[in-house]
Amino acid sequence: MADVAARVSLAPAGTGHRLTTSGIVARTVVASLIAGAVLGLPLLTADFWDQAIGLAAIYAIIGLSVNIITGHAGQISLGHQAFVGIGAFVSAFLIGTIPQIGFTGVLMVAGAAGGAMALVLGLVALRIRGLYLALLTLAFGLMAETTLFNWRAFTGGGAGAPAPRPLALQTDQAFAYFCLATVAAVLFLDWRLVKTRAGRAIVSVRNDERVAATLGINVTGYKLLAFVLGGLVAGVAGSLFAHWNQFVQAADFGLEQALVWILMAVVGGLGSRAGVVIGSAFFALFPVLLDTFVASDVGTIRIPFTDVEFLAATLVPLLGALLLLLTITLYPGGIGQQLLPIRRWLAGGPFVEHGHRGTHVVEPGGPAGSPALAEPTVEIPAVGAALEVEGPVEGSSEPTTEIAVVGGVDA
Amino acid sequence: MRFLIAGLFEGAVFGLLAVGLVLVYKGARVFNFAQGEFGTVAAFTVWALLGAGWPYPAAIVVGLLAAVVTGLIMERLVVRPLLDASRITLLVATVGFALFIIAITVLAAQPEPRSLQPLIGGEDRDILGAAVSPQRMVIALVLIGLAVALAWFFNRTNRGLAVLATSQDALATRAVGISVPGMSRFIWGFAALLGGIAGVLQAPIDIFYPGFMTRTSLVPAFTAAVLGGFTSLPGAFLGGELVGVVHSLGLHVLKDNWNVPGAGELTLFVLLLAVLLARPQGLLGKEA
Repeated sequence: MADVAARVSLAPAGTGHRLTTSGIVARTVVASLIAGAVLGLPLLTADFWDQAIGLAAIYAIIGLSVNIITGHAGQISLGHQAFVGIGAFVSAFLIGTIPQIGFTGVLMVAGAAGGAMALVLGLVALRIRGLYLALLTLAFGLMAETTLFNWRAFTGGGAGAPAPRPLALQTDQAFAYFCLATVAAVLFLDWRLVKTRAGRAIVSVRNDERVAATLGINVTGYKLLAFVLGGLVAGVAGSLFAHWNQFVQAADFGLEQALVWILMAVVGGLGSRAGVVIGSAFFALFPVLLDTFVASDVGTIRIPFTDVEFLAATLVPLLGALLLLLTITLYPGGIGQQLLPIRRWLAGGPFVEHGHRGTHVVEPGGPAGSPALAEPTVEIPAVGAALEVEGPVEGSSEPTTEIAVVGGVDA
Repeated sequence: MRFLIAGLFEGAVFGLLAVGLVLVYKGARVFNFAQGEFGTVAAFTVWALLGAGWPYPAAIVVGLLAAVVTGLIMERLVVRPLLDASRITLLVATVGFALFIIAITVLAAQPEPRSLQPLIGGEDRDILGAAVSPQRMVIALVLIGLAVALAWFFNRTNRGLAVLATSQDALATRAVGISVPGMSRFIWGFAALLGGIAGVLQAPIDIFYPGFMTRTSLVPAFTAAVLGGFTSLPGAFLGGELVGVVHSLGLHVLKDNWNVPGAGELTLFVLLLAVLLARPQGLLGKEA
């Protein structure tokens, strides 16, 4: 995920660029409009949309958990439904058997369950690398989905189990706000994480395992940490999902679902928190939007010149997959890459359109101030100062994910 | 014993898919998560043509052609632009392509289970206690035939040797005058053909639906390829049979005796984990 994860820090330009009063006002207005739109939306809308907003927030949390494992640590997990699902089922199970534990207690235990599952998988699996890890997590997800989530005593088998909401969060609106608050909390924790020693170590493992190891970083340990944190966040998301839906069943945690979660994180832009949140929310809201616009009587579309009719909702995976392919081949930085000029502007820098990808996606091995970044600095010197490359960005040959590390396979 | 036999016959399909996976891995160094979808495309094309009154052989030819075209499109639009990207990026792209094809088949044929008539009708035969349908025997025969044909192709023909050479060193291969993009097209087309054969043969065994090959056979096929060494074509055949047998035994022990849900998936996960931890180079993972 080398080029996808090429990241550029957004430190406000310290030198050479001073904001005018109107500039500050404009930025404050735009920032508060965005915040107001997100926070005020559930108030303005009816129940139906509150539900959709709650789901979007839950998807955002799932996307952020994928981002921790794949974006920060560079490990791929195609079995994310296992972590989300365990959170959901533990939640429903606890609420059903010991209701006095309370909603917060349930959330915490669900998160712990997701983390514990990631720990168990990580302990055995993390010595397996790159493509093989992807394979193993895929098999693990399928196993969890069919074996664990259909275990009758724990999950109610295929019939599922109820997961009632607490009294204070009965309405969809209250629940949507609770989910949004959780997104904020996860965003904050993730932001803090990458600033800590552990966070830097995790990112260095993604960039180059061997270099990280020579610097004395416990590679397997930090990979495991990222796995556990990702599992924990996914478990919390699963718990929220269970209570959002007020019901859990194995069918909600299928392979296709897990693949969509990876997809939305990649389309959002791995490594970019804002991008991942937007991408995830998009994938959650898109089916709802499509359903509403094409609603009721025109819900079925006919392919011209044929007898084939289909539901508008079936377009979702098609467009999702198309978006993924377009993102990967044209804009590897995802939505996060598209957002960059806006975020830079909000942070106090000038508005520079990125044009095409050459201007700001950091080229392989480019150190800070490499030719790849020099282009905008010709016109506006401040941007060069504002762009600080976080660590070496790996390029086409990515040692951490090369198969060569698994003994004997690579000839 | 009868589970052993049933497993051997079941493993034939895994082997067929695994060979396609290995071929792509040899040529492009990537795990192709869309391999199963080549099979689905072929199966649905055959189903649609049979519904339109075509004879079976003609439908199969067109179905396989559809699979090959899908493979070529994928090579041109997804694989080629990502040649320089990291392997993980390419892997995610193959996942995306698989989802794309699933979405297309859902659009074209509705997400409902379908059934296809077998190539050869008739009663199940009893082979050492295991009931084996004629269709399964056809699959086993095709597998054996393909194994022989592929061994001959890769060891005795110029084109086969060129494919092997490309997978070993693309630059050196270009230096001696072999077109690397041409080889890439050939490899993806060929892998898609193998996937298509697997799909057309597997579909009549049970009901099929959009994404059925990915859902039921992709993980076993990958396990088979890993078990065989991922660069070895004989290994992929062998791995397919082994995975088939272990899968069948696991199903029997866990499901029939203890009624464990998802026994097949559980068995496969444990097998894959065991192979990756104990012998990541696989059984025959030496040749390139």
